[in-house]
Amino acid sequence: MRYSPTLVDHFLNPRNAGLMRDADGSGSDEYAGCGDLTRFYLKMRAGCLAEARFQAYGCGPTIAAASVATELVAGRAVEDLLVLKAQEIEDALDGLPEDRKHAAEVAAGAMRAAALDALRRRPGNREA
Amino acid sequence: MNRRVYLDHNASTPVHPEVVAEMLPYFSDVYGNPSSVHGFGRDARAAVDAARDRAAAFLRVRPEELVFTSGGTESDNFGVKGLALARGSGHVITSRVEHHAVLRSAQALEAQGFTVTYLPVDQYGMVDPDDVRRALRPDTIAISIMHANSEVGTIQPVRAIGALARDAGVPFHVDAVQTFGKVEVDVHAMNIDALSFSSHKIYGPKGIAGLYIRRGTKMVSIQHGGEHERRRRAGTENVPGIVGLGKAVEIRARDMKAEAERVSALRDRMWEGIRARVPDVRLNGHPTERLPGTANVCYRNVESESIVLGLDLKGIAVSAGSACTAGSVEPSHVLVAMGVPLDWAMGAVRSSLGRSTTTEDVDFVVASVTEVVSRIRQAMPVGAA
Repeated sequence: MRYSPTLVDHFLNPRNAGLMRDADGSGSDEYAGCGDLTRFYLKMRAGCLAEARFQAYGCGPTIAAASVATELVAGRAVEDLLVLKAQEIEDALDGLPEDRKHAAEVAAGAMRAAALDALRRRPGNREA
Repeated sequence: MNRRVYLDHNASTPVHPEVVAEMLPYFSDVYGNPSSVHGFGRDARAAVDAARDRAAAFLRVRPEELVFTSGGTESDNFGVKGLALARGSGHVITSRVEHHAVLRSAQALEAQGFTVTYLPVDQYGMVDPDDVRRALRPDTIAISIMHANSEVGTIQPVRAIGALARDAGVPFHVDAVQTFGKVEVDVHAMNIDALSFSSHKIYGPKGIAGLYIRRGTKMVSIQHGGEHERRRRAGTENVPGIVGLGKAVEIRARDMKAEAERVSALRDRMWEGIRARVPDVRLNGHPTERLPGTANVCYRNVESESIVLGLDLKGIAVSAGSACTAGSVEPSHVLVAMGVPLDWAMGAVRSSLGRSTTTEDVDFVVASVTEVVSRIRQAMPVGAA
């Protein structure tokens, strides 16, 4: 198996999969090369992440990267999510093959987009 | 160990035990070079001749019309380039759904100044013989159309195309790698001048295949060296491989018809099971003119690779209809040529059944596919892809 046991576990048992209807922020990212798409929904409490859910279209690693990201960022401040790096997601999956690195990049990009949306929609923010 | 189910017989097959037994002496007992004049060589030559006789009898052709090669890819290169280069220049007709061994041979000919027409196919992946007729030009020097498509299983109207080719006096090459030993191939009724066939798709060993060349057909060699294969293909014969091919062919002659019926029924049972349980699926390929064991199914809005991975983790081997390489997905050129929309084409999964496939296997696959696709779809964004 070219994928780590952690990746396989997240693919077989995705955590926090599915739509969140009353999200405080949502964002997606797409990998133009292959149409992989990941979307996150965030529920914030006191500026920190209370719950994250994901939807993903793509290969096994894409689904696993989105799943592991929802656990990885639990409880973090929204500002921290704005700078989430793909490497951190890849590390949480115990590595990705060279030709599947984009799975972590798409997940990180989607998480940053969702955090930005949550920040914009934060009460008191004039852009909201 | 959990159940393991191999549904990738169009990619390769396990070597039949009777084939292995027949081959074994030719590794270490009968090891001479068939070109050698001594007794060791003569024994090897006798084995090669006997295997050639078997294959020729199966195809109902003369033994000297068969050339052994290293694989289907070499046979296709030989068939397409050999016919074209023997004529120096001109126009070649082929289709958009050919195996890459034919498509890239045709592209190589284009780079050398030949012109090539890549015929379209209909929604079932079938070439229209009328398109062949319209594509014919005074300078057309070869036609190459596959017998059956490896991805979707559609069987082409080669008999009608062969008749057109014969009327026009244009040599006709057929890539029969997926049909040889699975369905009837009649080079006479189909007016075929060159035919690629392979061993490892029919429970023979890998690394051995052949090209039938109708007597009198002008061909040039693409591999040069010694005087082997009547100076048409240089290189010491793969004696164990040739012996294995001969035995595999003999077994197919015996089992082909019954197995085709059995495997077709299992294939239909699998598709009916999937269709009844999984929403948003479609079967690709011609509904009736199709290889017995092949089922190419599209799961809408699901990426095929995730299904292949999900099934692999359950011990089931199928193949993805689209391939993601270094972050760039290429949907199958066959499905694209058939006009399958991208949101379907990206979720294509091919299952190809074979002699070891059982009813229990098929039922396990249906249950597994249902579970895997449902799980992946739960994580899927609405309106994705």
